[in-house]
Amino acid sequence: MSILNKHPQRDSAATEAVGGDELLVTGGHTFSTLTDKVSGIVETQTPPKWYLLFAMAVSGLMVLMGAIGWLVWEGTGIWGLNNPVGWGWAIVNFVFWVGIGHAGTLISAILFLLRQQWRTAINRFAEAMTIFAVISALVFPGIHVGRVWLAYYMFPIPNQMLIWPNFRSPLLWDIFAVGTYFTVSTLFWYVGLIPDLATLRDRATNVRKKVLGFFALGWRGGNRQWQHYEKAYLMLAGLATPLVLSVHSVVATDFATSMVPGWHTTIFPPYFVAGAVFSGFGMVMTLAIIARKIYGLEDIITVNHLEKMNKIILVTGSMVGYAYMTEFFIAWYSGNEYEFFAFINRALGPYAWAYWIMFLCNVITPQIFWFKRLRRSIPVMFVASIFVNIGMWFERFVITVTSLSRDYLPSSWDYYSPSIWDILTFVGSFGLFFTFFLLFLRFLPMVALSEVKGVMPEADPHHYHHKPKSAGGAK
Amino acid sequence: MSNTINPRVQGKTYWRSLDHLAETPEFKELVEKEFPEGADELKNPVSRRKFLSLMGASMALAGLTSCRRPVEKIIPYVVKPEEIIPGKPQYYATNMPFGTESFGLLVESHEGRPTKIEGNKNHPASGGSSNVFMQAEMLNLYDPDRSQIILNKGKNSSWQAYRAAWKKLAAEHVETGGEGLAILSESFSSPTMMRLSEAFMEKFPQATWVTYDSVSDENIFAGIQAATGALARPKYRFKEANVVLSLDSDFLQMDSNDIPHARDFAGRRKVRSENDSMNRLYVVEGTYTITGGMADHRLRVQSGQVGMFAAALAHELSAQGLDIKAPRVNADFDKKWISSVAKDLLANRGKSLVLGGRRQPPEVHTLIALINDVLGNTNQTVAYSNNPDMQVSNLKSFVGLTQSMNAGKIESLVILGGNPVYQAPAGVDFAAGLKKVNHSVHLSSHVDETSANTTWHINEAHFLESWGDVSGYGGAGIIQPLIAPLFDGKSNIDVLADLLSDEEVWAYGVIQETWRGLLGTGNFDKAWRKAVHDGFHASSRETPVSMNKSRAQGAVSMSRYYSSTASPDDMEVIFTASFTNYDGRYANNGWMQELPDPVTKVTWDNVALISANTAKHLGVKNQDRLKISNGATDVVLPVWIQPGMADNTVALELGYGREIGRVSTGVGSNVSILRNTSGMNIASGFTAEKAFGAHILACVQDHHGFDEEKLAADAIQKRLPTIVRESTLSDYQKDPEFAMAFAEKNELKGMWKEHDYSEGNQWGMAIDLTSCTGCSACTIACQSENNIPVIGKDEVSNGRDMSWIRLDRYYTGDVEDPEMVFQPIACQHCEMAPCEGVCPVAATTHSDEGLNEMAYNRCIGTRYCSNNCPYKVRRFNFFNYTKDMPEIVEMAMNPDVSIRFRGVMEKCTFCVQRINVAKIDVKNEGRDLEDGDIVVACQQACPTDAIAFGNINDPNSEVSKMKAQNRDYALLGELNLQPRTSYGAKLRNPNPDLETEHAVAEHTA
Repeated sequence: MSILNKHPQRDSAATEAVGGDELLVTGGHTFSTLTDKVSGIVETQTPPKWYLLFAMAVSGLMVLMGAIGWLVWEGTGIWGLNNPVGWGWAIVNFVFWVGIGHAGTLISAILFLLRQQWRTAINRFAEAMTIFAVISALVFPGIHVGRVWLAYYMFPIPNQMLIWPNFRSPLLWDIFAVGTYFTVSTLFWYVGLIPDLATLRDRATNVRKKVLGFFALGWRGGNRQWQHYEKAYLMLAGLATPLVLSVHSVVATDFATSMVPGWHTTIFPPYFVAGAVFSGFGMVMTLAIIARKIYGLEDIITVNHLEKMNKIILVTGSMVGYAYMTEFFIAWYSGNEYEFFAFINRALGPYAWAYWIMFLCNVITPQIFWFKRLRRSIPVMFVASIFVNIGMWFERFVITVTSLSRDYLPSSWDYYSPSIWDILTFVGSFGLFFTFFLLFLRFLPMVALSEVKGVMPEADPHHYHHKPKSAGGAK
Repeated sequence: MSNTINPRVQGKTYWRSLDHLAETPEFKELVEKEFPEGADELKNPVSRRKFLSLMGASMALAGLTSCRRPVEKIIPYVVKPEEIIPGKPQYYATNMPFGTESFGLLVESHEGRPTKIEGNKNHPASGGSSNVFMQAEMLNLYDPDRSQIILNKGKNSSWQAYRAAWKKLAAEHVETGGEGLAILSESFSSPTMMRLSEAFMEKFPQATWVTYDSVSDENIFAGIQAATGALARPKYRFKEANVVLSLDSDFLQMDSNDIPHARDFAGRRKVRSENDSMNRLYVVEGTYTITGGMADHRLRVQSGQVGMFAAALAHELSAQGLDIKAPRVNADFDKKWISSVAKDLLANRGKSLVLGGRRQPPEVHTLIALINDVLGNTNQTVAYSNNPDMQVSNLKSFVGLTQSMNAGKIESLVILGGNPVYQAPAGVDFAAGLKKVNHSVHLSSHVDETSANTTWHINEAHFLESWGDVSGYGGAGIIQPLIAPLFDGKSNIDVLADLLSDEEVWAYGVIQETWRGLLGTGNFDKAWRKAVHDGFHASSRETPVSMNKSRAQGAVSMSRYYSSTASPDDMEVIFTASFTNYDGRYANNGWMQELPDPVTKVTWDNVALISANTAKHLGVKNQDRLKISNGATDVVLPVWIQPGMADNTVALELGYGREIGRVSTGVGSNVSILRNTSGMNIASGFTAEKAFGAHILACVQDHHGFDEEKLAADAIQKRLPTIVRESTLSDYQKDPEFAMAFAEKNELKGMWKEHDYSEGNQWGMAIDLTSCTGCSACTIACQSENNIPVIGKDEVSNGRDMSWIRLDRYYTGDVEDPEMVFQPIACQHCEMAPCEGVCPVAATTHSDEGLNEMAYNRCIGTRYCSNNCPYKVRRFNFFNYTKDMPEIVEMAMNPDVSIRFRGVMEKCTFCVQRINVAKIDVKNEGRDLEDGDIVVACQQACPTDAIAFGNINDPNSEVSKMKAQNRDYALLGELNLQPRTSYGAKLRNPNPDLETEHAVAEHTA
């Protein structure tokens, strides 16, 4: 998959569809027009719309900062937590954002290893989303502790007290799992960016050229470089793959290793991973639909791509639905009264509204994608993707809160409701996410140019003689 | 005063003279003239400087005793160390007056600063135990809103000025023999107060002495007087009683002498094995009390009909062959119930006991005395005695005084304690009368409703700051101060003695004078020191009063026991002393306001208690506002539906709606405006209707069980038999292992190699649910011992109550007439503690002695431990709850226990500080720990000895013995957490005649 970065003249021929196969890039793009298209986004003057959106996102970020500031000043009590419900929206948000942060690496790593070429259109975008989602997620474990200024106790730092963290605690595993995931995802994303940064560098002047040059690490696009690069990329993909599965499995153990009825279930790790992929794709979908429209990337992120993502949403959504039912079955089958009550209470208790929102959004909504017409309808999938994320947020809420609010001794049961600060913190976390995301859209190529070019017919030296092997190869 | 005990004191003349200099009136006058600003500081010693100097003085640096002590010798109780060791507390015996009752205390003092109140083990009433009121006095002492200065018409004044004014006035009154002079006191039982009051009446023969309390045993005294001819109170011997019938008496909590009653009553319910027996308790009551919760059979009857019930019982007893006559009543009580009770009482003649509550009118008490007499109980289970030191509340004379005041007949009025303006019932316009009194003096701990209208207000010293004495249950005792008055307050003895003397008098001398007569001949100094040291002098001042059956029968025959049945248009209202505020005296006490009522679990409010039926009829639900009206006036209170309440009855708690300080202000409403002289306790003719709006209540345990939510209600009723395991004595005898029937049948296996705890001290606790009455003394004792913060109503409503030991209350059975059980829950110190594994920073770990420990410094507050605790005993500091703690309240803190900062988890430690103190002590003594060396705070407070704590590796320890009983079970034992706390299954002893459906229900569980 050798690609040249900059051959505007060479690729003018590839304007027509080949052999009746679906093309991953439509609209008669050549390498050069593609480069112009994607690079152009970051090179032209910033559109006013961007400023408007950015102002909104930064406002959200300010809300988050304010809410955190007040939290640190005043104490965890500003949230709606109470005695049985020690974890509320903060943890729900953490799991929610970590979940969203799944799609990127899944798309880049696992689909890469599985040679799913359609991933190239969305992988950069999804990876960036992953990193920003993980950053948004990481805010929460930091601030949700009672003494924020001592949160570093959780890290295994040698200290004069000769105390290590407790390696038996799933919260510690979390630190390692999410930390590793964040590191590897960021590396993976950055490595993927290098050729494109070089492309931008070559088109830039002055300071911009210097900065981009610094980050492009002297990329020249030589054969040796490509050889090393692809090996590194493959290895990183190999490293990232187990992480995709591990990070949410470990997050799941936060709940599963406890003995709270409704948390203490072995199904959690796989079910959390399926849910995470589900929500991650939901989020990629939402963002992609907006971005391709605004930046006119319909040719690169085509309906075919979106349809494939919808298929994944359908599959993972059904897995999640299956998990819900399995949970119920096991709760009943176990003969454990507390366990069974925890689930009955979810569906019929005081939080039944949350449960049914979750059920509707996560299990029913994706079923519309059995129909091709709906699967390919942009408005339908846009609404559905938002539903998916609402549903997945509620899933975490249902798991976290309903289980805690009614556990073993009825004397301690209590109802949890969020305070205004819970809500502001959550809203603010979107501000953080979108601030990063908008900066990304503005300053970095949102489509992996080098990779997309690699799956264009022109990249295949034999494409005039053979049908492309795997272009459009759906799963 | 003699003060030659410690010769070393002579070396401290420097301090003494400075102190003396500061105390002289000339010096004070000088200061006041020179520095009017700074004078306040001198008289108002909350300032840190004064506190430190007090502490410094008391700390007795260089091994010397305090500068105050040589003059007024107070004597350490248990240990008298050769040298006072800083950090090592000392214990002093003293007494707490409480109306006509008193409690013997042992007060822990750290460097001259009292920090914890316990019961005095050698005192016949306390017996080492305590109740919530005793425990709460610690905080009352350090109440920052206590009045700190003498006021004259609202302006700062001084004791000297007050004395000068009084002397002038006294001279005039002496001339007229005290005409127009009146004293209004609270009820008391004190040899010195009695002596002084007699001296007062001698000096001012025309003066009036009136005693009034808004909550008192007046009716009991009056009823017994009708039966015996003497002013006497009944003394119950629960130890002797096999069958107890309580007629509206909450003898386990709110009625007088609750501690010895609870102890003796529960003592007869200690079941070590299936071969033991139990007493049997029948309760007839209108509102649900904890005594009702302990009942083997409880009959729900409107309080106003309890008299009718007593009469009906008398008829039944007569029908069963006893010589008793009672007026006929047309009552509709459960015939089977009455006849079974009567049969049971008869079968236990001389071994049964009938007692009535203080709410019931005198004629009911007369009838009860008669019933006891015909049952042969007089002098067996109940005796009557007169206490010469007792001054009993008298509503009639209080009304008379108010009338005289309003008629302008009272020239001068001295009010010794109490708050008559607030406490007076409607129709007794004490406040208006007070305005017509030319010279009025009010001794009071707070500038309150009464102080605002009096000429003089004198700030009252707390009993822990003053000398005094008490006389009561089985003897007399001296009140010795633990600390110099923090605000230079005066005691009632100070004020009363001063009324009688031209010279400045010291209470110490006055009391010694009284006790010279009491302690008999011999070496007075020695006897005095012993009496002060012991806190109690055994020779009883009480004289037995004999029952006069014919007199009682005559009185009963003359009485009416008929009251109309309350209906929705003519509702009954009963006024009860608040479980936490009592008559309002604990209204500014944060511990008490935050202590959940044991039955309703509501904090920080008084509520209108009604039954579910009544609520349905009125169309109200919990937290709706209810307007209760007697035609003339009305009060609006939040509704609380109380299962087991009598229908058409509203129970209202007194003592709320006070605005005397930062805690009490805005809490609840004053319901005494609905009271009138004919319906002080039980009143009829009320209507109730839903008022607009809702009132959020801070309830620590939701009303689950009888929820509208069927799902939860069913789940709870399903779980309950395994959580609180309960059976009857007869079923227990048939199946001694019943408590194990719920346990996991399969062998429980750990997931890892379990730690070996078979060596050394292994701490454990056993709690006997059969003995636990739900009195909540443990909760307050724990709060005091462990510096648990008060968080306020909002935080309690947020579900963040901090109690380390809580009392779970559950109902079983019918919503209208359920049974109630209590279960004290503190950290169970699981050997396989689920909280420990999940803490990412290892802030909670296990000690070698089996304690689940919290390292506060390490805790970062993830709250995972709390989530993972199936008992939900962990408490999180959501805010810095001690941030706004007034400096003076800091003095109430136990220096052995750290104050927790926000963001830190806390929980029961098994009083690890006490364990360590005991370990150090026995090491110094060169011996091993023995059972009983360590007494944890909840265990110490418990009046029924329901809690045992000790080494479970020692087979002879009390806790091991309790754990070895076949009723012992681990709560949620099936989780294999191996908790160190276990529970003794609850037993009731129902009457087989009444036991039909009950037994079936128990067995299917």
